[in-house]
Amino acid sequence: MARARTTFDPFNALAEPKRRALLEALVVKELTVNQIVEIMKWSQPMVSKHLSVLKQVGLVSERKEGRYRIYKVNAAQLKPIQKWVIQFEQYWSNSLDHLEVYLNEVQSKEVKDG
Amino acid sequence: MDNKNIITLEPSIFTREFNAPIQLVFDAWTQPEHLKNWMFPQAGFTCEYVSADIKSGGSSLHKMITPDGYEMWLLTKYEEVNSPDTLVFRQYNSNQAGDILPNMQMPTWPKEMRATVKLEEVGGTTKLQLIWQAIDPTKEEAETFEASRSQHGNGWNGGFEQLAIYLETL
Repeated sequence: MARARTTFDPFNALAEPKRRALLEALVVKELTVNQIVEIMKWSQPMVSKHLSVLKQVGLVSERKEGRYRIYKVNAAQLKPIQKWVIQFEQYWSNSLDHLEVYLNEVQSKEVKDG
Repeated sequence: MDNKNIITLEPSIFTREFNAPIQLVFDAWTQPEHLKNWMFPQAGFTCEYVSADIKSGGSSLHKMITPDGYEMWLLTKYEEVNSPDTLVFRQYNSNQAGDILPNMQMPTWPKEMRATVKLEEVGGTTKLQLIWQAIDPTKEEAETFEASRSQHGNGWNGGFEQLAIYLETL
C-alpha cells in the first residue's frame, strides 16, 4: 500500500526495522557509508537508501571530511520522538507496572498500621 | 468525508494480575489520591490531579511532570464508571485549561482513543484487562497506530533504552 509519507514523518521513517538498526549503530558512533556497509553487511545502495530517508526526516545529519561524508544521529530530532514513544507506546505497560508497585505498598502499610 | 472503507484496527490489549482485592484496584483507578501515585509512564515523573469528577459522564484533568520539568496535561472523559469492575474512558492531550490539543509531535496519531478497564477477582488476586482502541481512525491514523504497535516485540524497546541512555548524556 502507499506509504509515500515515510520521508516526511520521522516516526514512520522509524517503523522500518532496518532503519532502526541503522540508527542504533549510529548512536554508538559516527560512521561513513563504507563503515556502515561493513558493520551492517548491507549493500551500499541499501545503506544509501535508508540513510537518505533518515536524513530527509532530520534524524541523521552528515558532514564532509576530505572526500568522506560522515553520518551521525541528530539528537535534537530524536529527543521529542523518544518522549512521544514513552508517552504512548509504553504508557500503559509502564503505568500498570507502577500500579502494581503502588498496590503492594498500600497493602503492606495497611498490614503495619493494623 | 466520503469514507466508505471502514477501517478495522485491532485494539492493543494489556493484561495484568495484581495481588490485591478488586475494590482496592478499582479505587486506585478512580480516586485521585491513589491515581497520583502511579498514573505516569516513567519512574521519576510526578503526577498531579487538578480536578477529578470521576463518574460516568464526568472528567478529570491531571498533569505529568518529567524529571527535566516538561509538563504534559491530560484530560480524561469518563464514559462508564461501574464499581468495582468496569471503567471506560478517553484520554486527550490538553493544555492546563483542559482544552484538547492536537498531538504536536505525532500529527497522525489517532485523535481519539478509548480505554476499557475490566477487573475480575479470582481467588484473592485481581485480573485486569485494559483494551486500548482507536475510535473511528482514518487510514493514516490506523497506520500510525499499527507502526507503533509493531515496535513492542521487535527489540525496539532495548534499542530505545540505549537511546535513552545516550540522550541523557547530552
